[in-house]
Amino acid sequence: MSPIDPRLQEALDGERDPGDLPADLREAHARLIAATQMLKATPPVSVAWRVMAEIRENPGRVQSDGPARRLIRWLGRPRAFTVRLRPVWTLALAAGLVTVLLLPWSNGGPTPGVAQGIASFVGHFPGARSVEVVGSFNDWSRGTLHLNDDNGDGIWHAKAVLPAGQHEYMFVVDGERWVPDPLAGRYVDDGFGAGQQNSLLIVRPVSSQP
Amino acid sequence: MSWKLVLALALVARPAPVIAQSGNGTTRLTGRVPAAALPAIDSIIATAAAESLPTEPLVQKALEGSAKNIPADRLVNGVRRGLLQLRQARAILTRAVPGQSPPEGHVVAVAAALARGLSGPIVERLLTVAPNEPPGPALHAAADLVAHHFDPDSAADLLVEAHNKGLRGVRLLDVAVAADHELQRPGGRTPSEALAHVRAMLPNVRPGRP
Repeated sequence: MSPIDPRLQEALDGERDPGDLPADLREAHARLIAATQMLKATPPVSVAWRVMAEIRENPGRVQSDGPARRLIRWLGRPRAFTVRLRPVWTLALAAGLVTVLLLPWSNGGPTPGVAQGIASFVGHFPGARSVEVVGSFNDWSRGTLHLNDDNGDGIWHAKAVLPAGQHEYMFVVDGERWVPDPLAGRYVDDGFGAGQQNSLLIVRPVSSQP
Repeated sequence: MSWKLVLALALVARPAPVIAQSGNGTTRLTGRVPAAALPAIDSIIATAAAESLPTEPLVQKALEGSAKNIPADRLVNGVRRGLLQLRQARAILTRAVPGQSPPEGHVVAVAAALARGLSGPIVERLLTVAPNEPPGPALHAAADLVAHHFDPDSAADLLVEAHNKGLRGVRLLDVAVAADHELQRPGGRTPSEALAHVRAMLPNVRPGRP
């Protein structure tokens, strides 16, 4: 970097009349003055410039605000939100809310109606992979009422809300072995001529239960 | 004549199967009952409907047999046997409660009692005692007692007395449970002693679970 000519420096400092300078220095002086004027012009106000100006003006405040104060300030500041909803999603959301509000709150167990009762099914099937109940209450359909053995002790159980009255049923073990409920206490011949018996369940309505 | 009109006329003129027309629940059988058994079962159910007998027990029997993979001939016989029991049940109800058309629920309950082995005269006697009440609980209580080797007539006597002392509905099942408990009590009672003991405590038998 070449040092600046002292005469030019004196002219820039106002200590010498620029007209006294040689022609080349007078030209350099004119360019430097023009450049200075450009730097003095107001810069465009960008977001970054404003943010930096805010930080320069209030350095302490910005650094001392904790998350809670920032959250409170954010919450307290008015903001405009634009929500665009499709009618189909709006209706689905409303239906979901209504369903949740109308659902009966219970302690997790089945809740029977007036003409219904709770049936408990228990069976001891050690080593079984699956146990389910099929009967007149589910049109003798598979896969609708499974028993559980959560602790693996071979005792399978399930509860279900059923219409009050008589129901015939059987257990299906491992998807293929049909067995009557050993604890049913009531049995009836299934009528197909092989002497097989269905278990018989009489469900008492909740209104009659003590 | 356009092809659409021809197709429409063909569809209207084509004789629809009884299964689709009957409206007796037989549409539930399609796809579940073996095709070889379906026409015969459909005919039995249509006969029951024509005789104003309940058809649901027959539909259930067909579904049950299909779920159990009962061969077609035995499946049809099982459903036919159900029809015969329904006829017998209505005949008993008509004798026991003359001048009334028996409700379907009563016919089903009596047929179930016959299937459990109660004799016609015992059923008829119990129906006569409480002609306007649903007969299911009293009949099941009697069938429970007979299944535990109590004398059928003595069992019916006990239930008639329980009814006369104000026990109704499922509370009659508690009478049968109490008699069975007395029979199994340590020390041993004969069936007649157990019945006499329960008769003495009527109507204060302990409410029980089904």
